[in-house]
Amino acid sequence: MVEKILQVNDLHISFDIHAGEVQAVRGVTFDLYKGETLAIVGESGSGKSVTSKALMRLLPTPPSRIKQGEILFEGKDLTKLSEKDMQSIRGAKISMIFQDPMTSLNPTMTIGKQIMEAILKHQKLSKDEARKRAIELLQLVGIKNAELRMKQYPHQFSGGMRQRVVIAIALACNPKILIADEPTTALDVTIQAQILELMKDIQKKLGMSIIFITHDLGVVANMADRVAVMYAGKIVEIGTVDEIFYNPKHPYTWGLLASMPSLDHKDTELYSIPGSPPDLLNPPKGDAFAPRNPYALKIDYELEPPMFQVSDTHYAATWLLHEMAPKVEPPAVVRERMKRFADIVARKGGKPRG
Amino acid sequence: MMAKQQYEQLSPEWFQPAPPNVGEQEKINRPSLTFWQDAWLRLRENKAAIVGLVMIIILTLMAIIAPMASDRTYKDQNLRHAKLPPKIPVLEHIHWLPFDGRDANGVDVYKQRGVKEYYWFGTDDLGRDLWVRTWYGTRISLYIGLLAALIDLLIGIAYGGISGYYGGRVDNVMQRIIEILNGIPYLIMVILFILIFEPGIISITLAMVITGWTTMARIVRGQVLKLKNMEYVLAARTLGAPTSRLIFKHLIPNVIGPIIITTMFTIPSAIFTEAFLSFIGLGIRPPEASLGSLVNDGYKSIQTYPHLMIIPAVVISLLILSFNLVADGIRDALDPKMRK
Amino acid sequence: MARYTLQRFVYMIITLFIIATLTFFLMKLLPGSPLQNQEKLTPEQKALILKEYGLDKPVPVQYIQYLGNLLKGDLGVSFQYDNRPVAELISDRIGPSAQLGFQAIVFGTIVGLILGIVAAIRHNHWEDYTATVIAVLGASIPSFVLGGFLQYFIAVKLQWLPVAFWEGFKYTILPTLALSVGVIASIARFMRTEMLEVLSSDYILTARAKGISQAGVIIKHAIRNSLIPVITILGPMTVNLMTGTLVIEKLFAVPGLGEQFVRSIELNDYPVIMGTTLFYSALLILAVFIVDVLYGVVDPRIRLAGGKK
Ligand SMILES: Nc1ncnc2c1ncn2[C@@H]1O[C@H](COP(=O)(O)OP(=O)(O)O)[C@@H](O)[C@H]1O
Ligand SMILES: [Mg+2]
Repeated sequence: MVEKILQVNDLHISFDIHAGEVQAVRGVTFDLYKGETLAIVGESGSGKSVTSKALMRLLPTPPSRIKQGEILFEGKDLTKLSEKDMQSIRGAKISMIFQDPMTSLNPTMTIGKQIMEAILKHQKLSKDEARKRAIELLQLVGIKNAELRMKQYPHQFSGGMRQRVVIAIALACNPKILIADEPTTALDVTIQAQILELMKDIQKKLGMSIIFITHDLGVVANMADRVAVMYAGKIVEIGTVDEIFYNPKHPYTWGLLASMPSLDHKDTELYSIPGSPPDLLNPPKGDAFAPRNPYALKIDYELEPPMFQVSDTHYAATWLLHEMAPKVEPPAVVRERMKRFADIVARKGGKPRG
Repeated sequence: MMAKQQYEQLSPEWFQPAPPNVGEQEKINRPSLTFWQDAWLRLRENKAAIVGLVMIIILTLMAIIAPMASDRTYKDQNLRHAKLPPKIPVLEHIHWLPFDGRDANGVDVYKQRGVKEYYWFGTDDLGRDLWVRTWYGTRISLYIGLLAALIDLLIGIAYGGISGYYGGRVDNVMQRIIEILNGIPYLIMVILFILIFEPGIISITLAMVITGWTTMARIVRGQVLKLKNMEYVLAARTLGAPTSRLIFKHLIPNVIGPIIITTMFTIPSAIFTEAFLSFIGLGIRPPEASLGSLVNDGYKSIQTYPHLMIIPAVVISLLILSFNLVADGIRDALDPKMRK
Repeated sequence: MARYTLQRFVYMIITLFIIATLTFFLMKLLPGSPLQNQEKLTPEQKALILKEYGLDKPVPVQYIQYLGNLLKGDLGVSFQYDNRPVAELISDRIGPSAQLGFQAIVFGTIVGLILGIVAAIRHNHWEDYTATVIAVLGASIPSFVLGGFLQYFIAVKLQWLPVAFWEGFKYTILPTLALSVGVIASIARFMRTEMLEVLSSDYILTARAKGISQAGVIIKHAIRNSLIPVITILGPMTVNLMTGTLVIEKLFAVPGLGEQFVRSIELNDYPVIMGTTLFYSALLILAVFIVDVLYGVVDPRIRLAGGKK
């Protein structure tokens, strides 16, 4: 089995605000393996960003608070490290890319300085060596005229180019883990594809693990090795890409799949999951998804479902997997999609990963 | 993962399908407050703003009632009663309070001169009742504040609205005019106008009409421009969605919010300007009283009769402070983004 | 950048020209003339004096002459101060005012920045509340009230510092303090808001994600970026300072421009009023111009794009 590089166990994060306690993350557990890409998907507000910032301990405290759980990395529990120890991990061993490249660079500092800052912080290099390294990094992320670009400011770059710079900063010290929080959401479609391509490319070259956060299942299919589906602060289903795409078990995953726009099918109208995510100030009793779940069972309103194991790598938290539950099939749209994914994989000649 | 055993005794009955009732969906969501209810709730939680509001109410009531309730007027002179220190019934017995009718040397001036009446805030060098004059001056301050707000609302909104609504050349010209007006120091405009029209409340009013509304005009114009753009967006995508609700829930608050905030900040700065002008002798002329001119008069005898300066100074500061607190509170309540 | 500066410069000249014109025609509208206090003159004497002041010519000619004189720095002569040139009166008085204004700006800016930065870093802690209270009080208490209180309590009661006059550094302390409170309040308030805004921005998160320490983030990223917009309030602050000097100089009997201005208002000395007004306006417009250019220099977005955002 491949080496586990990061283990998150039963992580709970709350925000103490005026009105009470927002339970943004309510027991998240997952492992990250060396060299893999784990996608975390879910509607906006499901706690993806909070989880990922918590891994880097970037959440402001107060109002945020890690209530419970551990984050194990290189034998250390990150939730217990001092701020100073965290600083030597951030940017060096674990790096992060944020959603909006338009705002994630300092507007009054040259690109070069911003990259060199990260290099000089963690590596014992002279300024000249750091500059050389920064230029290399810019070339690595596909920015031409790197030497000239070093002296420029963020506003002189396009959105896609800025995101490349952000990636360069994140790669400055060859991190073991790269967390990308919706890195392409703010970009238009063609640029989006280029950035995804770049990330895959870099991963191949440098071999780090990636946690790829998105609300768009479409992106996941050709980026990720494994997928975790998040809802209302919990992981409700986790498995390999193939398992999630053609053997999804959780009705929420079905909803997400059904609402995916497909390129070859000019669907009349996009499906969207009815209702809205629960208020995490007062999370409902039982399964948080029940009020929106057409397949809800009586028990869903009373008891939270545990993680049921589907295969070695595939788990889902829904009572539908209980032996007493009625056997339900995913809705027709989803079944059709599942079939199409299977066909695509078959046509490519590969056998399902897993 | 989770221990399976603990779920083993579940009754099969619990596994009956129970899809949610879609109609109930809306009720599950927290009752959504309207923009104004929400803002009011936030304002109510802001203690400083509430203190300010209460102080404004008290000061306003005093300004209205005190001069009416007294049998002396702001200009009655009584030289026999000149320069009396403050003396207030009941409070006169609390010795550390400066309301016992004693002067700086501890002499009970009332007894010494055989004055039977009480002058709560004392009297000035012409024997005028400072209590009445202070509250009379507060009236003038409030009048100026109200007037400034009115000018903002009338001229500022009209100018900004027209400029933003028509856009193009009209907007361009109107904006250049504002830019020039802004280049001229406000105070200097006021002083020039007062020189032409003689000091007094009318001159101050006039000067404010000419110069006091540019900030409001700029803000309203900005909002109107934004609103225009939003209308296109709305038209494009609200097929079916109730436009009226969008207008009432988003557009109106968007425009009215900044208008209220700007107005609220205009008031204290207008009150300050009047007090300042009266202080340097360009505002209200004697025998009328303004808080600024009272403070100025008080200075002349600061060493011997400090109350003449301190009392109106405290009132004008409280007045401006209260309006600032309320303005801050309203801004925070209407614009949660600005609240930090 | 050059185009931007030039554009601001042209604006400055136009505004100055308009103010000069306005001042001139307002002067023509004013009740009274230089002869106001000399009623007992014969018609010949009157005509002579009018001629001397150039007031016998038609208004448009006077206007041209006036503009010409302005360009030469000639602001006319005073009615009251022995016919002395207004320009001379101004230059004689500018020293103490400039010193006072400078001291107040430097002291007020330093204290205000520290308060604002500390308040933002310690957001929602007692330091923040203290700074906020100071800022609100400073913005609410009129300078003439504050000056009076300082004078009464510190100079009269406690006798720590001189009550008034201008005879050495000790004499400048109270007026500087009274003047700087407004500066402190506005800078602290503005800096706090800017700093909070910047601290919650994405690029601060990026910097932290690089592993930069809290102090490093604040010094290298947050303070610098919050300082830039603070430059914009230097313009309005100059106005406040001018307003302040008028009353503070009067209160503390400082022989400055403001004190002379207030006196000339009391004496209806129109040429001095007009001259000083013009001088103040020019100063303010210059301040705004400098602020605009400075903003361009420190903000690369403007420096390189050549326009305001
Ligand atoms: N600073 C905060 N204060 C209070 N609640 C917060 C804060 N940040 C995030 N939350 C809450 O945490 C939940 C998850 O947010 P987030 O992780 O940003 O969602 P996602 O990234 O999946 O869109 C949301 O319900 C949000 O309201
Ligand atoms: Mg997010």
